[in-house]
Amino acid sequence: MTGDADQAPSVDLERSIARLLTIGTYGSVALLAIGVVVMLARGIAPLAGGPRFTPGLVVDDVAHLRPTGFIWLGLLAVIATPSARVVASLVGYVRRREREMVAVAVAILVVIALSVVLARGLEA
Amino acid sequence: MIDSALLIGGGVAAGIFGSLLGLGGGILIVPLLTLAFGLPLLTALGVSLVSVIVTSGASAGVYLERHVANLRLGMTLELFTATGALVGGLLAFLVEERVLEGLFAALLLYVAITMARRSDPPPAAVGTADEIPTESPGFRSALSGPGYRVKRLGFGAIGSVFAGVVSALLGVGGGLVKVPVMHVVMGVPLRVATATSNLMIGITASASAIIYLLNGRIDPYVAAPTAVGVFLGASIGSRVVHRIDLRILRGLFVAILLYTAWQMLQRALQ
Repeated sequence: MTGDADQAPSVDLERSIARLLTIGTYGSVALLAIGVVVMLARGIAPLAGGPRFTPGLVVDDVAHLRPTGFIWLGLLAVIATPSARVVASLVGYVRRREREMVAVAVAILVVIALSVVLARGLEA
Repeated sequence: MIDSALLIGGGVAAGIFGSLLGLGGGILIVPLLTLAFGLPLLTALGVSLVSVIVTSGASAGVYLERHVANLRLGMTLELFTATGALVGGLLAFLVEERVLEGLFAALLLYVAITMARRSDPPPAAVGTADEIPTESPGFRSALSGPGYRVKRLGFGAIGSVFAGVVSALLGVGGGLVKVPVMHVVMGVPLRVATATSNLMIGITASASAIIYLLNGRIDPYVAAPTAVGVFLGASIGSRVVHRIDLRILRGLFVAILLYTAWQMLQRALQ
């Protein structure tokens, strides 16, 4: 459905999404930068090969102030920020009752979910 | 310590160059990590994807805030770029690395030729400002913006799938495909096409970055300094872009791209 709401400027939605993208990006870069500082402080050679991503270890790594904890958190934030933007858009379009855009947003999230599932399959 | 500084410095240089010349950093990060630091191509691609998400995130926010990017159009097309990226991300692990290196060399050559032929200033939005019909119901008109009406959505979808595959296989944002598709094929003004393409990079690259991450192809110790460097470089580049003679820079960039294409081709043929 593309009714009156469609013609109205979606200024608020775009502004909220813009803010979300900015906060997500700066937040993830800040986490990565902390990780780099801790990495340097611990004298880790970057080209020696880092550990593989293990979701279960991230919290423990952060708790023990290991660089990988901050870096994985930062990288997860980098990768999750665009999906968060789609979720925010989805909420906005549901409120505006734009059915086509709701369907588009849901379909994008399904593709992202599929990539997680298929990546795990490839990993196995 | 020195390697970390070099990675950050390399990232800064890639970010500045990319930002000044209107490219994502990916086209420079991948050769930097493979040819200069000797990393495997798949690792370089994973790190590059993360870096392009970071650089596009900040500028996409600005483009949205200024209402230059078309959110509805971007989301509709990114459904297809993300699907392409999902396919490309899986393909990247199935094809031989030297095939990817050959493809990357071809991409570098293509960008070098495009750069060399580019005129200043960029062409005005040719054939873009279609009159908006008085009666314009439907989804397609909802995707249109002030002064233009989106055309050939089907072609746009196909082009977007291709852009997604290219992005995932070669670790780039895919603007080289998306911008011409939106501008030339779909009739979207160049400025809007560029901004919307930038907005789409995040979801497109994250669809394949997930595959790289879960398959151990994102090295945290390489990714963090490089992404931070690229982010800093892109921020610097956007601030100094008006003070630099881009013709000289473009010439230098074309030379670097040609040299890099040659190196990458040699690597593929080894």
